[in-house]
Amino acid sequence: MRETPLTNCEKDFVKKSVAENRRIDGRQPYDTRKAKITFGVDRGSCQVQLGQTRVFAQVSCEVAEPKPSRPSDGILFVNLELSPMACPSFEAGRLSDYGVELNRLLERCLKESRCLDTESLCITTGEKVWSIRVDVHVLNHDGNIIDAASIAAISVLAHFRRPDVTVSGTEITIHPIEERDPVPLSVHHMPLCVTFAFFEQGKYLVVDPTDLEEKVMDGKMVIGMNKHREICTLQITGDIQLEKDQVLRCSNIAVVKVTEMTELIHKALDNDRQVRASGGKFGFAESISIEKVTSNQMKGSEINMEDAEEQASALVLSDQDSETPSDTIEDEETVVHVLNKGVGSIGQGGASQWTIDEEEAEKMQTEVKFKMTRTKSAHKNLPTATDGDLGDNSEEEETIVLGQDMKIISQQERQNSQKMQTKTGDVKMKKGKKYMKK
Amino acid sequence: MYSSSKPAETAKISVRAARPLEYYRKFLEKDVRPDGRELGEFRPTILNIGCISTAEGSALVKLGNTTVMCGIKAEFATPKTEEPSNGYLVPNVELSPLCSPMFRPGPPGEQAQVLSHFVNEVLNQSCCVRKEDLCIKTGKLVWVLYCDILCLDYDGNAPDACILSLLAALKSTMLPAVKYNEETEKPETDSVKTEPLHILSNPVSSTFAIFDDHLLFVDPTVQEESLATGTVTIVTNDNDLCLVQKPGGSPVTADQMNTCFERAFSRSKEVLRLIDEILHSIER
Amino acid sequence: MSNSSKRSNLRVMSAELSLLSRPDGSATLFQGDTCVMSAVYGPGEVRINKEQIDRATVEVIYKPRSGLPGCTEKSQERLIRNTCETVLLSSLHPRSSVSLTVQEMQNSGSLLACCINSMCLALLDSGMSMKCLVAAVHCVLDFEGAVFLDATDKEEKGAQACVTFVFDSVDKNVVMVHAVGKYSVEQFNKCMSVCRTASADIFHFYRETMTKKLKRS
Repeated sequence: MRETPLTNCEKDFVKKSVAENRRIDGRQPYDTRKAKITFGVDRGSCQVQLGQTRVFAQVSCEVAEPKPSRPSDGILFVNLELSPMACPSFEAGRLSDYGVELNRLLERCLKESRCLDTESLCITTGEKVWSIRVDVHVLNHDGNIIDAASIAAISVLAHFRRPDVTVSGTEITIHPIEERDPVPLSVHHMPLCVTFAFFEQGKYLVVDPTDLEEKVMDGKMVIGMNKHREICTLQITGDIQLEKDQVLRCSNIAVVKVTEMTELIHKALDNDRQVRASGGKFGFAESISIEKVTSNQMKGSEINMEDAEEQASALVLSDQDSETPSDTIEDEETVVHVLNKGVGSIGQGGASQWTIDEEEAEKMQTEVKFKMTRTKSAHKNLPTATDGDLGDNSEEEETIVLGQDMKIISQQERQNSQKMQTKTGDVKMKKGKKYMKK
Repeated sequence: MYSSSKPAETAKISVRAARPLEYYRKFLEKDVRPDGRELGEFRPTILNIGCISTAEGSALVKLGNTTVMCGIKAEFATPKTEEPSNGYLVPNVELSPLCSPMFRPGPPGEQAQVLSHFVNEVLNQSCCVRKEDLCIKTGKLVWVLYCDILCLDYDGNAPDACILSLLAALKSTMLPAVKYNEETEKPETDSVKTEPLHILSNPVSSTFAIFDDHLLFVDPTVQEESLATGTVTIVTNDNDLCLVQKPGGSPVTADQMNTCFERAFSRSKEVLRLIDEILHSIER
Repeated sequence: MSNSSKRSNLRVMSAELSLLSRPDGSATLFQGDTCVMSAVYGPGEVRINKEQIDRATVEVIYKPRSGLPGCTEKSQERLIRNTCETVLLSSLHPRSSVSLTVQEMQNSGSLLACCINSMCLALLDSGMSMKCLVAAVHCVLDFEGAVFLDATDKEEKGAQACVTFVFDSVDKNVVMVHAVGKYSVEQFNKCMSVCRTASADIFHFYRETMTKKLKRS
């Protein structure tokens, strides 16, 4: 679906407000939106809300062969999906340019910064390693997807636990979760992205743009950084030219933001750990507040199983009373005609009379004779396996001899003959089971 | 445009093209369908087992005009680390532009994927082939059976034809006897001796189409499928049910479901007799 | 199986509506620990090749939690889409499209039932006209023939048969059924009547949720 296009008045209004150091949602230019991180019941799943932008991430692992160039390194695969849920213009399946750009940014931020220790994922050098897959789904797009996605990806990598493995000689045993506690992944540092949107050729800048600001901006800069002031990735896109000190200023702002966010992530992880250890309830379900008008909760009521059983048996009995005897049909229809070695048929009847071809109706040949007999002795022969005809099988040219009275020729002529049949309109009623109609 | 000698014929053609539903209803009033079948009657089923000599097992099914061919190829593979004594059964259904203009060339469309998933579910749930039976050496070597189901002519009711061809092909599959050589860590196949595959159960599928919210008829053709308001597929497994699937469509009552079950069971008896007789004819 | 007690009621259900700002209707549904989020856009613009002159084109995209969508996901999409088409009054919006996205967030059993119920809630939230509501109930049959309503994924793994029924709100007839495993006709009918009784709970939940959202005070 196409999105509603942005009007010129809206564009001008946003540009004017930014020039006056004001933002539409009331934030200061350097303020980021409130972030909320919730972890799910399963290890390695979390939801991140950055204002209205919502992102869901999930980690999964499996045993795979390592890359030949790096036989003792595990594999990390990051996938960002722009779900059609997030924005009507996102299409499922096909990755748009925007999607490719975000994917590449996230990959650079996580994989190339080596935040995850891939050597610890090795089981047997050159044969088996753990392959970790991070799927990030964007649920609602209100601007600045990359920040939210990077927060979500790092949080789930820190939250995830992989099954424990013991290697004894050539035997590899993967312990299920019930047997042994799963092992956390070793995350060296947490690289997070901060987005800066520029207006008027780099004159004005805002941090963490919303969707409206993103549509109006001239260009943006994304800095991937960790709390140790190390820049992991930097990308400038759009119609802007930045000066050196502008870039440095932005990176200083980014340091502050990243430090705040990393603290938030650690706090959320600690909370989750405490709740799990104390045996309390955790997961996404606990994060929704029942006081809201749009939320509701209900416990199911007890179902009386005996009542249900009585209803079911009453149903079966009532059906048996109204049943017509089916023995006669079985006798008729289970007759199997074995025609040749490996070929047999059941049932009788002819080709479908439904298809019509207007041209065929005109060029009906009278010499095509088609006698339709519905006797039990009707036989059909197919070329058998021993014939060797099947090699050059061309369905249309095959002549199939059906028996004494019947002959099906080619597909085209079959349609002709169907014309003949409809002309005579000879439809024989057969004995058989009728269907229950209301 | 039309020759003047056939006015009634042309009227019939126009009605059929312009108002297919009305045309169809006229037949249903008399409890019959345009091709002369009763509502509970399947199209004539022809089964040819062993038609592909290079495959380990094969079958060709013609259900009226719907033609489906299944070929089983067996190859060696290493089992998964988590399941060291399980072989693999990989079904795949192909609906190519060959069988109907509805399907486009390229990656498998939705219908082909849905059918593949359906066949996979039936194989897993009916346990007709146990994965442990495909194991040659635990943790090292197992059989993988690729079940390729190819539709050659699509005239409706593909699920029934696919399951029937698959069952017949599996029943006729002969695997070469294999010994695992511990020293060389390679398998040794006996080119002469073959063993049949051990089939534990017999899934048979019957598809019903719902018409006008209250009529149920069996084995729809492609035109009937396009007019139907819903379908029900029932896969029976000897005397039990294996899979019952009704993907949306008009609601049905419990009575109608029970009628469908009876027809599905009687169909399964017919079909199993067909397969048995044909297998006997091969052995003779 | 012997450790878990026989469950004869549905797990705790919680729902949150309108939580996403972009879609026309959205809902998150929790059935126990299973969580599914659905969003609806529509009626909206449709691509020319998918246009239908007499009704709206319903598109369903089911997104699994991890991994790329495969045949299983296509099968789920078809089940959900057919149920949606039965329920929606699509002839009110010809030449348009209704796009529904279902995101699996957590799977602790009864996933298909949760998807259908959350889809119904999202449609209710979006305000689209529907013929009737649908309620999906999932149950499993264990090897002794006992029926467990709304099973967890552990119970599903050890079960003989897993059955999901979808009933409509008007006549309580079966709109959709997906039953796999090994079971007899009597067991199937027994599951059907148990699920039908349980569906009354779900319809009640829908009513309560919408009343809470739309009531003035």
